[in-house]
Amino acid sequence: MVTGQQSLDFDLSTAENSNLITLWGMNWIATKMPEGHWLTEARLHGAKVVTIAPEYQSTTCKADRHVTIRTATDSAFALGMAQVIMRDGTYDEKFVKHHTDLPLLVRADTKALLHAKDFIPGYENDTLTTVQVIEPGEAVALAAGQDRQIVTSELREEWGDQVVWNTRTGAPAVVTHDNTGDNFPRNVDPALEGEFTVTLVDGSSVKVRPVFDAIKELLDSSYTPEQVEMVTWAPVAAIEELAADIAANPTKTLFAMGMGPNHFFNNDNKDRAILLLAALTNNIGHYGGSVGSYSGNYRLGTFGGITQWTTEDPFDITLDPEAPAKSKKHWKGESAHYYNYGDRPLKLGNKMFTGHSHMPTPTKTMHFANSNSLLGNAKGHHDVVVNTLPKIEMIIHHEWYWTASCEYADVVFGVDAWPERQMPDVYGSVTNSFLQAWVVTPMERVFETLDDMQVNALIGQKFTELTGDQRFTDYWRFVLDGDPSPYIQRVFDAGNATKGYRFSDLHESCKKGTPFYMMFRTSPKVLGWEQTYESKPWYTKSGRLEFYRDEPEFIEYGENLPVHREAVDGTHHEPGVIMAAPHPLLIPAQPSDYDLDIDDLSTEMRQVRHVMRTAEEIAESTHPLMADGFSHVLYTPKYRHACHSMGASTDAEVLIFGPFGDFYRHDKRKPWVSEGYVDMHPDDAVELGVQDGDYIWVDADPADRPFKGWQDNPEAYHAFRWMVRARVNPSLAPKVARAWFHFHVSSYGSVEGHESREDGLARNPRTDYQSGYRYGSHQSVTRAWLRPTLMTDSINRKEAYGQKIGKGFELDVYCADGAPKESFVKFTKAEDGGEDGTGTWHPAAQGFRPGSENEAMTKFLAGGYIETQGSSNG
Amino acid sequence: MAEVFNWQLNRMMAYPYEESRPVRQAAAVFDTNKCIGCQTCTMACKTCWTSGNGQEYMLWNNVETKPWGSYPLAWDVRELELLGPQNWDGDTYAGKTIYEAAAAGEKNIGWIPTDMDYAYPNRGEDEVNVSITTQRYHLKMPHDMWFFYLPRVCNHCTYAACLQGCPRQSIYKRQEDGIVLIDEERCRGYRVCYEACPYKKVFYNHTTRVSEKCVFCFPAVEQGIQPRCMRNCIGKIRSFGFLSRPEEVREDNPIDFLVHVRKVGKPLYPQFGTEPNVYYIPPIHVASDDFLTMMFGPGCLDAIDSYKKAMRGDDPKLLAVLLLAVSTDRIIHRYKLSGETIEAWDENGDKVVSMPLKVPTLERVPYDEDLEVYRYNIT
Repeated sequence: MVTGQQSLDFDLSTAENSNLITLWGMNWIATKMPEGHWLTEARLHGAKVVTIAPEYQSTTCKADRHVTIRTATDSAFALGMAQVIMRDGTYDEKFVKHHTDLPLLVRADTKALLHAKDFIPGYENDTLTTVQVIEPGEAVALAAGQDRQIVTSELREEWGDQVVWNTRTGAPAVVTHDNTGDNFPRNVDPALEGEFTVTLVDGSSVKVRPVFDAIKELLDSSYTPEQVEMVTWAPVAAIEELAADIAANPTKTLFAMGMGPNHFFNNDNKDRAILLLAALTNNIGHYGGSVGSYSGNYRLGTFGGITQWTTEDPFDITLDPEAPAKSKKHWKGESAHYYNYGDRPLKLGNKMFTGHSHMPTPTKTMHFANSNSLLGNAKGHHDVVVNTLPKIEMIIHHEWYWTASCEYADVVFGVDAWPERQMPDVYGSVTNSFLQAWVVTPMERVFETLDDMQVNALIGQKFTELTGDQRFTDYWRFVLDGDPSPYIQRVFDAGNATKGYRFSDLHESCKKGTPFYMMFRTSPKVLGWEQTYESKPWYTKSGRLEFYRDEPEFIEYGENLPVHREAVDGTHHEPGVIMAAPHPLLIPAQPSDYDLDIDDLSTEMRQVRHVMRTAEEIAESTHPLMADGFSHVLYTPKYRHACHSMGASTDAEVLIFGPFGDFYRHDKRKPWVSEGYVDMHPDDAVELGVQDGDYIWVDADPADRPFKGWQDNPEAYHAFRWMVRARVNPSLAPKVARAWFHFHVSSYGSVEGHESREDGLARNPRTDYQSGYRYGSHQSVTRAWLRPTLMTDSINRKEAYGQKIGKGFELDVYCADGAPKESFVKFTKAEDGGEDGTGTWHPAAQGFRPGSENEAMTKFLAGGYIETQGSSNG
Repeated sequence: MAEVFNWQLNRMMAYPYEESRPVRQAAAVFDTNKCIGCQTCTMACKTCWTSGNGQEYMLWNNVETKPWGSYPLAWDVRELELLGPQNWDGDTYAGKTIYEAAAAGEKNIGWIPTDMDYAYPNRGEDEVNVSITTQRYHLKMPHDMWFFYLPRVCNHCTYAACLQGCPRQSIYKRQEDGIVLIDEERCRGYRVCYEACPYKKVFYNHTTRVSEKCVFCFPAVEQGIQPRCMRNCIGKIRSFGFLSRPEEVREDNPIDFLVHVRKVGKPLYPQFGTEPNVYYIPPIHVASDDFLTMMFGPGCLDAIDSYKKAMRGDDPKLLAVLLLAVSTDRIIHRYKLSGETIEAWDENGDKVVSMPLKVPTLERVPYDEDLEVYRYNIT
């Protein structure tokens, strides 16, 4: 939203060009392992690394500095540092004035940005040179042939032209989408602070102030270091020092945000706040200073020509392998998270919060490949299974190893595992610029499987048989002929970063182990380089980095200014509240406006409850479940031993996934040769009466977890209430607990196996599905959420591929997301951890664990086995 | 009994066999500051060597988090406890080795792990030494709350405990490269080696009933290729090559440079007295001087200073050699830094690496006229 496009990132190899690398819950060495060496080598070149996380994490052992912050408070931490920088005036004035919306004027009356037409009679919007204006419905060139941003005349009119206060003339001055960077008018020096009066065309007066001024008032009243410490736990000194360091390293500070902080309902606020911090300090678009939000590997847009594959007109198929496809899109995307949420939009009180362009349709059938996160590891998976799947008529799934998605699918197609694919393919990354071919394997298939693409093609062929329509088959012609590379070549030819490459050349090169390079503008790729160095506009209506959101929904929801909002469930305090003292521009709708009760803090209502609280009020408040013995925020980040929802899936891998791997399963209760676990601080374990290695129950809000209606469904509750090992871990802050995201969840069948098999494995007797838990899973404490600000029809955004800017829903760019997996939980001891089911887990019983260390271990920790130190090098 | 010179202890010590250093010693230097704990090395080894019956629990290569991790359980705590507190006199070891501390009639101190000691091999992963408290929410260098990763393989010791313990002399050290191997046809599974090895890197196979251990992938090494755990290290922490005899040190050999010239590569628990040949660059972020000295010997703090000097830009040669790690599958025999480029050659004299110390940045034209395509960073 700040940039008008999906998100920013940079090739991780650029770390060696930086002085200061700040990592915000971005556990680089654990989750971007192939690029781990760039971070450690950047340090060898003199860079300093700072980790910001609720724990001493993997990457912290590669960092110079670390700041512990409370889960989901990254936005407050960033805004606190922004406050320090604005307070001290250590921001980069030129960058702020020329590349951001901070000098743009906001009207006090409407809270919207002032437009030129508001006060200049007869004003006609400027003709922009940085944008190609088209008529609605007009065709545009393929991505490779697009020379600038593209927008419809309708949308351009809506943009208007914005205004700043020119301190040289003491009058308002118009600045357009063209006037960014070096194209900012030379004779205009825009004010950043102050309040001014403008006479509108109807003769009335309105007060206006720069966005900077409005933000500064908010930060000075609500985000001082002392206030931020109250809410984030970060010491004041940490806030002050890091802010000073960042300001002292313009163009040389990298900000990398990770999946951990992204997995909270109000997550995008952190990106907005961190972008503000980066913009203030001139750290966007430089090799050594920019912003990267690494939430997975999400940028299909690196293959900008992908529409050649995904939107070939099935009514006008091109069978000539040398010719491009004709594109005509006959399908509409929607966020998968409405299905996840129970196959409904967000309607609460008297309001429909899901915008028209986002509106989903009920799910009749699902057909998907791999993507275990759609079902097997969906947020609130168990609720989906019990309450949503019964409404779906058919689920077809492609997979090469048996996952929980397979457990519940009606039809499972066994497809080639990745090393045994007989068809070529192509892939890229957001963290590096390599263009890689999936080389056809010399391996023979282990079973009688087919490639994913072949399954689709053969289904198409079957439709031809049933209907007589040849087009079902022709659509997959090259796949059926055994070589899909013409499709790949079409994608290459249409894309900015790939045109000029022959796929056959790439395939040959990759066979020998050498990939090609994506042809971005720069190497390393840094998104924002063209905006910073060539003054190209951003993809926003103003052309600038936008920190003020004057869309009516954002004003209504209290997020027109960058703010911190408490997590919607994963907090010790009042959930979902906006951290702000009263501010003239922050007047969000209250629950009563939606016919809701302000004291209704139920999970559903929290999604639309825009109550404002100061830092002090937040710190003193408590989560509603605290009264019932709930005590911990539980977060479930991603780790090094498995990849996303491809669960920890081989016995060799899980043997070393955390502490509970034992090939011989001395403890016969173990669901498998290893198992999932929850980490908690040693003091918390003592308080809870839980020992290292014990089995515990983990419960989240009983209103909807482990699934809605659990009270009336004892069979499913028995299978899906979460029982898991506790692991005492001194690296986590107290009162937060952590479980990894990856272990295979329990299914009805795995629980049946655990209870009926002689070996006690949690393995489905019929399918061999192997769960990583005895009962339930990490998804027993999660659920789907729908965030109102992600469902508006008003937001301007670049499409997923190419330079066209539109409005409202856009798949993978602007839509409801499935990120949040936060919860506030209660722990109860279930069983002893000793191998025979009694007493303490063996390593703890032996005295080699934190909290139970024996004398030798204590001596070891102190380095006490060498009594005098040596002096110089021998 | 013979008297041999152990250069890591800077003195003579007792050992059952005469000093007989190999022509060159296969050796490695692991930079703990780069280890990311990914366990790719563990998987590279296991999928190749220990996926058979009886080998399920074996990790010839393992990575443990210090201080709470250990495989088998508390292997080092127990060995140190058996040895008892010892001391150094400057660079000379003033304490007892595992041989010297043996009871009368015994060749070495030792202990036998039980079955349960091999369970939970990655226990302790990512656990700091002391509990986090609000006082430790803002950490600076060095961290007074810390952990680090310690990847371990067989150290192919110069004075191996396994070798000297075997009553049947089933274990031998190759003269051509110092790799220590068990003759599995001669072995009868007495497990004296298993008890003797202070690093617990000999394993017993309950199915075949003989012992086995890391072989330094000698079939690859014989062809000039690095062992699997070394060349698959994606953190690029492992420098593998041949350590020269102490009197034949060659500065343009990366291993000699790191161990004998810059002295940043330190042995693991040198006080055991086996002269291990896998060396470690100590973790610079760990504030516990005593812990580091206990583990890596005196001089580990100087090693940290030398590493930091390279980080400041004041030792381009050391920086270059550190960047060379895992940049080729071939074993490097010689390197050269010329300005901003480092080159390396294998045993045959073929150049196997040529790379810049920093990757140059590059801008492309916005419009390629020949290909008729617009290039963007934001596609």
